[in-house]
Amino acid sequence: MSLEQFKDRNVGTQNYTMLDLGESPKTGWGKFKQVAKRSVKLELFTGLKVTFREMIKALFMGEMHTTKYPFEKLPIAPRYRAIHEMKRLLESGHYRCIGCGLCEKICIADCIRMDTRYDENQRKEVSEYTINFGRCIFCGYCAEVCPELAIVHGGRYENASEQRASFALFEDMLTPLDQLTQQKEYPGFGAVSPDADKKIKKTPLAY
Amino acid sequence: MDGYIIATVIKAILVLAVISALAGFGTYLERKVLAFMQRRLGPMHVGPYGLLQLVADGIKLFTKEDFIPNNANRLIFMIAPVITAATAFIALAAVPMLPEFELFGITVRPIVSDLNIGILFVLGMMAAGLYGPLLAGVAQHNKWGLLGAARTAVQFLSYEVVTGLSILAPIMIVGSLSLIDFNNYQAGGIGEWLIWKQPLAFILFLIAGFAETNRTPFDLLEHEAEVVSGYATEYSGMRWGMFFIGEYANMITIGFLASLVFFGGFNDWGFIPGGLAILLKVSFFFFLMLWVRASWPHIRPDQLMWLCWKVLMPLAVINVTVTGFVMMF
Amino acid sequence: METFAFYLFSILIIGLFAVTVLSRNVLYAMTSLAAGMVLISGLFFLLGADFLGVVQLIVYVGAVMALYAFAMMFFDATSVIKEKNSSATTVFLLGGLSAVLLVVIFAAPSIGGNLQPLYPSPDGASNPQAVGLVLFTKYLVPFEVAAVMLLVAMIAGIILAGKKMEHRITSSEEENSGEKEMK
Repeated sequence: MSLEQFKDRNVGTQNYTMLDLGESPKTGWGKFKQVAKRSVKLELFTGLKVTFREMIKALFMGEMHTTKYPFEKLPIAPRYRAIHEMKRLLESGHYRCIGCGLCEKICIADCIRMDTRYDENQRKEVSEYTINFGRCIFCGYCAEVCPELAIVHGGRYENASEQRASFALFEDMLTPLDQLTQQKEYPGFGAVSPDADKKIKKTPLAY
Repeated sequence: MDGYIIATVIKAILVLAVISALAGFGTYLERKVLAFMQRRLGPMHVGPYGLLQLVADGIKLFTKEDFIPNNANRLIFMIAPVITAATAFIALAAVPMLPEFELFGITVRPIVSDLNIGILFVLGMMAAGLYGPLLAGVAQHNKWGLLGAARTAVQFLSYEVVTGLSILAPIMIVGSLSLIDFNNYQAGGIGEWLIWKQPLAFILFLIAGFAETNRTPFDLLEHEAEVVSGYATEYSGMRWGMFFIGEYANMITIGFLASLVFFGGFNDWGFIPGGLAILLKVSFFFFLMLWVRASWPHIRPDQLMWLCWKVLMPLAVINVTVTGFVMMF
Repeated sequence: METFAFYLFSILIIGLFAVTVLSRNVLYAMTSLAAGMVLISGLFFLLGADFLGVVQLIVYVGAVMALYAFAMMFFDATSVIKEKNSSATTVFLLGGLSAVLLVVIFAAPSIGGNLQPLYPSPDGASNPQAVGLVLFTKYLVPFEVAAVMLLVAMIAGIILAGKKMEHRITSSEEENSGEKEMK
């Protein structure tokens, strides 16, 4: 599918079909005739028929639309941007975050704070990592910028809380160690798109 | 004489209790039916299938703050909802609900007061019911309320004319104003029903009944999109609830009137006994009101007046005249 | 029982109408007038004149009073009205005199004790039938005259209301002028 129809922003001229409603009556006699015709034609009952049909469908043919929300949940789209998740490396179980600080840098809501230090092996480790979800606008830049797919957006969208500024700690977002086997490579926001290979272009070396 | 008074008091209390409970239950039914027609579930969580929603609503209404706004006329503001509820129940006093039956060896006539002008009394009482919304709207010192009250006066006054004229033709045929006479006139089975003799009168009566009970497509008194909540804008809690108990009681009354006057009343209907038959008919009319609410949009006030004075009233007058001529010759 | 009901209704009616006259608030006056009208229909019911009672209910309560109420909506109904009385004595004297006159007119025959029904209702005729018999025999001419008068009033009302109907308020200016040109 080409992008043409999405790029055409001239809304209101395309894709509309005009219904032929006929001439609206001008004279009094014409109006009277229209009223009489419409009253006798029982067009009103079409509406009654439609609602009754929908009721029969809903009650006896299992086409009820309601999802009983707290008990049932609909699956959300993979690119939905909800509460962040911190991923681990599958092999070692170590967290993927390399402490580069790009997410902190790019965060436009200024809600990510991180602190790093060198551990005994002279590797960078994350000593502190918080996201202020009271300020986060879920723009997804952090996930997009992360070079290691360490921070991604998860699917946990029920984030009402009693306090306005509820902090989230690194450990809360991190996949628990015992559930490491169930960690899924997140297809959602921040992940590499399926056609990433095709999109790669040669870096022009001119500059 | 004493026995008569005691029986009447018991009947009055029974009607009050049963109909107000039914009116409350009507809100549950309305929500359920509307939900099904939109393929939703409706209230589900209080009790099995949400059956106890009525209780929850009642608790909420009773415990809500009884608020009277500044500058409102306190006395009239407090009386107005009572008028609506009271007239609705008084109107039911002259309606025979069920056929006579025997209870502990006493013949019970399930009508509180058998007036020989029953149908006029019911219509007159429902006409007096317009004071509820009217006074409420005028007393509450709120522009939306005032608009709602103006609409009440216009709509109820106009459609009373149509109700009266449309029911005049059946009255001429039966030759009595008593609802029991209406019922007895149609005792001969489906073929004797007055709907076959007066189909136009039935349609007019039904349309006017929708307008008098303030149901969609004629719910202009409190239509949210136009006048916030009309006459009920400033009301909350049980006073607001009383308006709606009155409205649902009126719906039940219109159902009873339509089935008694046009649909054979509480006569046996084939193998169905009379008592069950009339309940079925009234339930159908109640369902019809909800069904119509789910299906049709409401109309503009000027269309409402146009419909009443330029379409329904001439039709009603023609119907009465033609009936008169047919009966004379 | 009936005496008790009669006195109850009478006291209530007089009290309510007194409120109508004495209250300075339009809303109270109107509400008490309407309530008094309802109670008057109660008196009719006590007398066994069911039909007249219901007619009182429908016509006075349902229609006439509601029209008053509708007219009242164009005022500020909750405000207190200051009456302009130039001379309290004159008002008192005139009002009192006319009241006494009315009482005398209506009470004289019943005190004289020679009240007799001119048209006793025929046996077996129900309430509406009795009313109809009198209305369409003895009082046919006044009845018809009243009907014609109502018709005249209705036509006059329609003409008064419809005088400026060629201008639509809702339609735009150009349309209005166009319509004028067409005329």
